[in-house]
Amino acid sequence: MKLVSANEVRLLMLSTLQTQLAAMGLTSDDVPDDFDLLAKGVVDSMAILELIATIERHFDIKIDFEDLDPENLTIIGPFCRYIEEKSGNGSFHAS
Amino acid sequence: MTYRELRERAAGIAATLQRRTPPGGPPLTGVFAYRSPTAFAGVLATLFRGHGYVPLNPTFPPERTRMMLQRSGCRAVIVDSQSEEQLDAVLEAIDEELLLILPEKTQVEGLQRRWAKHRIAGLKDLERPMAWDIEPACPDSIAYLLFTSGSTGTPKGVMVAHRNVLHFVDVMVHRYGITEQDRFSQTFDMTFDLSAFDMFVAWERGACVCCPSQKTLINPGRFMQERRLTVWFSVPSVGVFMKRLGMLKPDMYPTLRWSLFCGEPLPVEVAQAWAEAAPRSVLENLYGPTELTIACTLYRWDSQKSPSECENGLVPIGEPYPAMGVLVVNRDLQQVRPGEEGELLVTGPQLTMGYWQDAAKTANAFVVPPSKNKIYYRTGDRVRKPRADGPLVYLGRLDHQVKIHGHRVELGEIEAHLRQEARVESAVALAWPLTPSGAGGIVAFLGETRLDAEAIRDKLRTKLPAYAVPRQIHLLPELPLNPNGKVDRKALLKILEAMA
Repeated sequence: MKLVSANEVRLLMLSTLQTQLAAMGLTSDDVPDDFDLLAKGVVDSMAILELIATIERHFDIKIDFEDLDPENLTIIGPFCRYIEEKSGNGSFHAS
Repeated sequence: MTYRELRERAAGIAATLQRRTPPGGPPLTGVFAYRSPTAFAGVLATLFRGHGYVPLNPTFPPERTRMMLQRSGCRAVIVDSQSEEQLDAVLEAIDEELLLILPEKTQVEGLQRRWAKHRIAGLKDLERPMAWDIEPACPDSIAYLLFTSGSTGTPKGVMVAHRNVLHFVDVMVHRYGITEQDRFSQTFDMTFDLSAFDMFVAWERGACVCCPSQKTLINPGRFMQERRLTVWFSVPSVGVFMKRLGMLKPDMYPTLRWSLFCGEPLPVEVAQAWAEAAPRSVLENLYGPTELTIACTLYRWDSQKSPSECENGLVPIGEPYPAMGVLVVNRDLQQVRPGEEGELLVTGPQLTMGYWQDAAKTANAFVVPPSKNKIYYRTGDRVRKPRADGPLVYLGRLDHQVKIHGHRVELGEIEAHLRQEARVESAVALAWPLTPSGAGGIVAFLGETRLDAEAIRDKLRTKLPAYAVPRQIHLLPELPLNPNGKVDRKALLKILEAMA
């Protein structure tokens, strides 16, 4: 079982979105936990899916998104904890 | 929203357009809105008023929207509440008096002071629906004017006539046996012409159009299940992601009758997984540029027969719609032999009227091939001419047009902006990273190292939609050239592959 911490996910996310965030005058240090990527126009729904795919590839994990709740996935803090939690309860496995 | 409500709203807006639009200007009205009730009512109102609609997208840079507004010459714009914020930036530098209708806005006094030279109409200023004077549409007048990426740096406006849309809608409604029991997905913004399918094919038969928020679209599967959709229509990229994220498992979507894809190549493995996930649906791959009205060829997926008809891992684009004609030609516009590849030319009732106020570009793309007496549109798409009664197979582009998650982008347009903003001679934009159905974004190279790549990206962001802005700009001392002295795009792709 491979575990991924919320912080690791956050770091990867912010580095992936670095250029989009820079466009809004933000650096990865000043992005708050409750920052909504979709509401702030950093990404659209397709880019969120792409981001998830990037995270899967980077950590070499496979997340089952059948039960995915979109509410969790556009705000940075809950998103990262969601991935961590999935790793904790064994809902995903290293592929 | 019921059809009655939609009609009432549209008639009220149409009557307001009839009474208050400043005189002069072409029969076109802008709809500056993002997949909201006002967006749909605005489209219908524009048509009720006897005008064509010009879709404007609040997520595009204001400068681009302003250019579309000015180029089209619209004297009236319908604006929804989420787009209002952007209006200041769009209206700046527009001198002509416009009518701005904000059907959701109750207080407009502040706006009227801010935009004193324009006429503002809010909710209370709307005419009663009864006041609408029915204006019959002429088959040859513009139904919508849609701006699409242009290779020289300026978007071109495709003029789509009522008769074009009518033919498309008739074909689709009959082929899919649409009834008022059907429930359609609505995944496209209105600046993407595939949205015209969602609206007009559903409206023609009184079906329900289910319009999800961006947030809901993150889990398209859940959206399909909760809304019990019967007709799905999206770009293949959505299927690519759903497959990768485990959202395409056998029998997950039993309510679907039709699974339709268009806008970019459909990968075989996505078609296979989708067909299993929606086993009661028939899956079809639609193909067509805006210039041929939404889609003009289609291919029905058959899990037994289709895999042998696919090439390069992509599903064929099939055969033309009824009454549409295709040619596959070589560089001299002479037909190639069956089994050979060439450029796809298409004609028929969905052939649009060309580009708005651009006779030169229209003449280049809408041509009469030798020994033919009809105008055909040159798609710029490379296809294989079928042997016997096989399907047309899509092979790629002849030029530098790419699809970013289905959005049509001319690399030349990005390169023109790069050269202008960076003041360099040598700029190349490439589609990257590559995905099974096209590309995920754009990466650029400049042949000059003493530049601020971030500052250039900032400038491009004010000119191009987000999907067309390069994710990275790489600065090289000089760009590699091929033996012909042209920039060697393949060598640049190799650099990107090595960095990945």
